[in-house]
Amino acid sequence: MNFFFSFLVLAEIFAVLALSTNLLLGVVGIFSVAQAAIMGIGAYTFAGLAIAGIPMPIALIAAIVLCGIINVIASLPSLRLAGDYFIITSFGIQLVATAVFINWSDVTGGATGLSGIPIVEIFGQKFVRAGPFLILSSIALGVVSLSFWLLMRAPYGRLLHAIRQDEIAVVAAGHRVLLAKVGVSAVSGMYAGVAGALYAAYIAFIDPASFDIHVSILAVTMVVVGGARTLAGSILGPLLLLAIPQLLALIDIPSTVVGPVRQLTYGALLIAFMLWRPQGIAGKSL
Amino acid sequence: MLYIQLLVDGLVTGCAVGLVALSFSYFYATTGIFHVAHAGIYTLSGYIALHFVKLGLPFVAALAIAIAVAAGVGAFIQVTLYARLEKRGASPLVKMIASIGVLTVLQNIVALTFTPNILQFDLPWRISLVHVFGIGLSIPQLILLIVSPLILFAMLAFSRWTPLGKRIRAVASNPELAETTQLHPERIFIYVIAIASGLVAVPAVLVGVDQAMQPYTSLLVLLTAIIAMIAGGIGSMGGAFVMSILLAVIQSVSVMLVSGRWSIALVFAVFIVFILWRPEGLFRRNFNRQI
Repeated sequence: MNFFFSFLVLAEIFAVLALSTNLLLGVVGIFSVAQAAIMGIGAYTFAGLAIAGIPMPIALIAAIVLCGIINVIASLPSLRLAGDYFIITSFGIQLVATAVFINWSDVTGGATGLSGIPIVEIFGQKFVRAGPFLILSSIALGVVSLSFWLLMRAPYGRLLHAIRQDEIAVVAAGHRVLLAKVGVSAVSGMYAGVAGALYAAYIAFIDPASFDIHVSILAVTMVVVGGARTLAGSILGPLLLLAIPQLLALIDIPSTVVGPVRQLTYGALLIAFMLWRPQGIAGKSL
Repeated sequence: MLYIQLLVDGLVTGCAVGLVALSFSYFYATTGIFHVAHAGIYTLSGYIALHFVKLGLPFVAALAIAIAVAAGVGAFIQVTLYARLEKRGASPLVKMIASIGVLTVLQNIVALTFTPNILQFDLPWRISLVHVFGIGLSIPQLILLIVSPLILFAMLAFSRWTPLGKRIRAVASNPELAETTQLHPERIFIYVIAIASGLVAVPAVLVGVDQAMQPYTSLLVLLTAIIAMIAGGIGSMGGAFVMSILLAVIQSVSVMLVSGRWSIALVFAVFIVFILWRPEGLFRRNFNRQI
């Protein structure tokens, strides 16, 4: 049972990350392949502060705020650059972040990562096992989902959709596109911060490989497979994609090929969905 | 002396990246597809050459096979994926995500058939040094230095003077007109991707021989190449090539100032500042495709 709960916790954490990616990629149409980097910043901030003995709620808030700010900075080039140029900047941000995680070893612990992240404790109750932690991650996903759902229904959400469809028309109608994009980048960054802090708290160990380009591409795959722009899509995607490694564990294959086989499956899924179902399982067309 | 050695190292890397940039640029400027899978073809062709060298074929034959396979795989991707997506009116974003999928598939096929670990060519001459004006160069490095500019000039000549080169330029500048004047853009695209993929096999194999190979490193090479392409002005093969060399030399010489571990971060930081300041690239070119 613990095995299943553990899968659910991870799926929920990745659902938060998928929602972060979905906001940028699906809703406003800013392609981002750097959300894992932002999540990593959240995780390292949370872990570093928690290890230093700072109370966890404060560490969580610090991670969320920092990620919001950094995601806005990271998205700034997209305000000036059209489409393909920003894709490269986004790849660049991810690679630079990974380089920082590996090389700034005083803070991040370098390639070996950070371990010894304290256990979450609320009112004397320790959240060590997956079962109790599921409550925490469910609350987090619930809050993030609710905010996403409200955002999509608010006039602001409609403005975001309009920006994706015809930016020039939105400007002509007198709306402030710049402000809207900065706002949505901040929200998306905060989601990634939540995902990062949860991840660090749950796994209790983080290293640069947990937040590299493959994880960012995984987040994009989750959004694409689940379906862009919808809440259901961002929750379905992580559940399905994280189930694949579990299924692979059932088949008897050598442990060295598990990684490549999993990646291969994700790649094939990306191609298949783009070819035959670009709107994903429960989404709208990209 | 150290400076000169670093300069030459940068020059060699720049030539390799330049060929990647040139080939990516050729396909991108013609079709507007952000062909990330180009990095996958880079990886694949290196390992194909390695495989045939291991089977005992002479190096030149292995290189030729790698080029042919790369061209074939490229054409296959165009026919089975990009052409279909185009027919369905897919957005550039959808095509690029599909391309990321192809990259992932190719890299992991390589990792599964060979190994995810570092592999080296079993060629005795790969490490023997040749001294030119007191600077030590390995034979693959020397070949890269000589062959890369030749390929650049050959491509420029091909594009300017041959009938196929002219047709490709016509399709690139106006696909709708090319369609109505029976130039068959969809067929041209297959030629272009085959040429680009065959070209990218050359630096892939030579760098593989010179250093070593790993399935997942090619994306970084491609990104550096794309940065050079943007900085050089999209659509200009010469610009992409020159900028690749410039970037690689800067990266190589910067080791004197900052730790080598940070040099990638440095290049990207410089790029982001540069692109915000001058989005049209160093060499102004008319490139008004909708992106």
